[in-house]
Amino acid sequence: MNFETKTSGISDTPEAPDKASTTVERRSFLGVVIGGITSGIGAALALAIGRFTVEPALADSKTEQWVDAGQLTDIPEGKPVKRAMTIVQEVGWGRFHEPGSVWVIRNGEAITVFSAVCPHLGCSVNASAKGFICPCHQSSWDGAGAKTGGPTPRNMDTLEHRIENGALLVRYQSFKQGIAEKETV
Amino acid sequence: MMRAALEEPIRGGARWSYVFGSGLAFLVALQAITGIALSVYYVPSSDHAHASVAFIQKAVPAGALLRGLHHYGASAMVVLIVVHLAQVFLFGAYKTKRELIWVTGVVMLLITLAFAFTGYLLPWDQAAYFGTKVGTSVAGEIPIIGEIQRRIMLGGSELTTLTLSRFFTAHVFLFPVALLLLIVTHIFLFRRAGAAGPFHHREDHRVESFYPRQMLKDAVFMLALFVALAALALKWPADLGPQADPSSDYLARPPWYFLPLFQLLKYFPGQLSLIPTVLLPGALFAALFLLPFADRRAERHPFRRPIATGILALSLAGTVGLIALSKYEDRANKEFSTRFKEQEEASRAFLKSKFEPQVIGQVLAATPGVGVAPTSFGENCAVCHGDRGEGADSAPSLIGITNKPNRTPEDLLKILNDSRTYGLKEPMPASFDLSEDEKRQIVEWLKKLK
Repeated sequence: MNFETKTSGISDTPEAPDKASTTVERRSFLGVVIGGITSGIGAALALAIGRFTVEPALADSKTEQWVDAGQLTDIPEGKPVKRAMTIVQEVGWGRFHEPGSVWVIRNGEAITVFSAVCPHLGCSVNASAKGFICPCHQSSWDGAGAKTGGPTPRNMDTLEHRIENGALLVRYQSFKQGIAEKETV
Repeated sequence: MMRAALEEPIRGGARWSYVFGSGLAFLVALQAITGIALSVYYVPSSDHAHASVAFIQKAVPAGALLRGLHHYGASAMVVLIVVHLAQVFLFGAYKTKRELIWVTGVVMLLITLAFAFTGYLLPWDQAAYFGTKVGTSVAGEIPIIGEIQRRIMLGGSELTTLTLSRFFTAHVFLFPVALLLLIVTHIFLFRRAGAAGPFHHREDHRVESFYPRQMLKDAVFMLALFVALAALALKWPADLGPQADPSSDYLARPPWYFLPLFQLLKYFPGQLSLIPTVLLPGALFAALFLLPFADRRAERHPFRRPIATGILALSLAGTVGLIALSKYEDRANKEFSTRFKEQEEASRAFLKSKFEPQVIGQVLAATPGVGVAPTSFGENCAVCHGDRGEGADSAPSLIGITNKPNRTPEDLLKILNDSRTYGLKEPMPASFDLSEDEKRQIVEWLKKLK
């Protein structure tokens, strides 16, 4: 490539030599204009894409809902049972009907419902001989959901419930993981 | 390298007529950026593609803008690439040392059309589905290899979710890589040969570097393109009709850049259709490819190359003429124009309506002859009244309900608003958190239960 003629913007023009300083000023001014235009377009796109990707991610999620956990008569006395249910989650473009589960313990009239999600890192909690255990990191709880060992920061998360026409209705919720307090997401 | 790029010598000085190449590079970058953004939400599957595009268009912040930029940017690319090629042709800039620059440019025109063709299907709305169906059938008419080629394009014998997947793969993986390689080659060859300069050679002694004046002109042009595309996207949101329904009798038309081909097809019935579908485009591109090798005279002035200039003028006029004629014939035909009006109306109504998330995983039993209950019924009523409104221990059957006293459709709407005024007790909820549309859908469906 031929690069002999390019230190000033325009060469070979008769007025170039005596206007050298104005040419340099003009070059830098045009440079600012070019920079302004390109960064303007870039900023507009960055703003749009930022809103596009970030805003929906920060919006409140709607996992909280009352769900049917089956007939009370199907729940045996004294030992934890896992109840499957359908959780409806509105996520982006879909309203997803997905399987969910909770742990239920019945002692006569008294019913306790626990979230099956481990408060440590979100694995699924299993029942054990002494109550509950999380198979991922060996967190354990007694039958009342009180923490007995492992890395879990808190007791098992209880869920509100009510009885309607003999059916157990559970207020399904998600809680923040890894902190000592029970806080909804 | 930066320095070399900025100080590229331009023979004859900076000109507005040189902005088209840079404009195209800008559009390619814009398509890539907006395309990557859209892929954050888009799902390339026939059962979710439309819902995900509707979500982008109606619900995601800046979604209509980004999709609009991508949509109109595609058309702008086709226009600009034709302008760029026409200009290079007119100014004779494909001659002497620049043959390969021209050839890579023509290949990029083909790839741009392939991008447009595959991208058109992705929203999976009525226009996309039926437009692509016709388009792939046209490709299937090529003798000998036609049917095999059609099947490979479709991923089977029909236009299905597999077609959508492979169009997506081509659109976001294959074509971008091919285009990128061609752009690099194109610019490398261009830089090596240097700018052709004006065809009259009167100012060949005057050499100016790319920076700053040509670069400024390019930047101003890019800004104008960006502002124009953004304005279009915001003022006239990119089209999105109702989801593709293969059983409907949708009247399909290709996007505007394929209309010349579509119009020609009308004049060549039966076996003759190979003339517009294969022979004419084949001849056109063969001519474009061979042009710099066939025309080896050094003369570049358009007025001193009357044949070349005449061919260009005729082809452009013919293309524009065919597009106009196709539009005119559709408008003049009463039946078609009514249909198009209805389809446009449906499309506009869909675009304007509030975004409704697609219901996934809910299984409702259908009533023969009546169909599945609306989603809102499934979520609010079916637990007690049954999927088909057949009733259960805790709730009565709803079959034939509109024939019962105080249960006209109007009554049913009122019951959904306040069931207690009709004396209904627990476990029937006093009211439902439903939109007016959803309530109407439920009542419409109940009317059909006989």
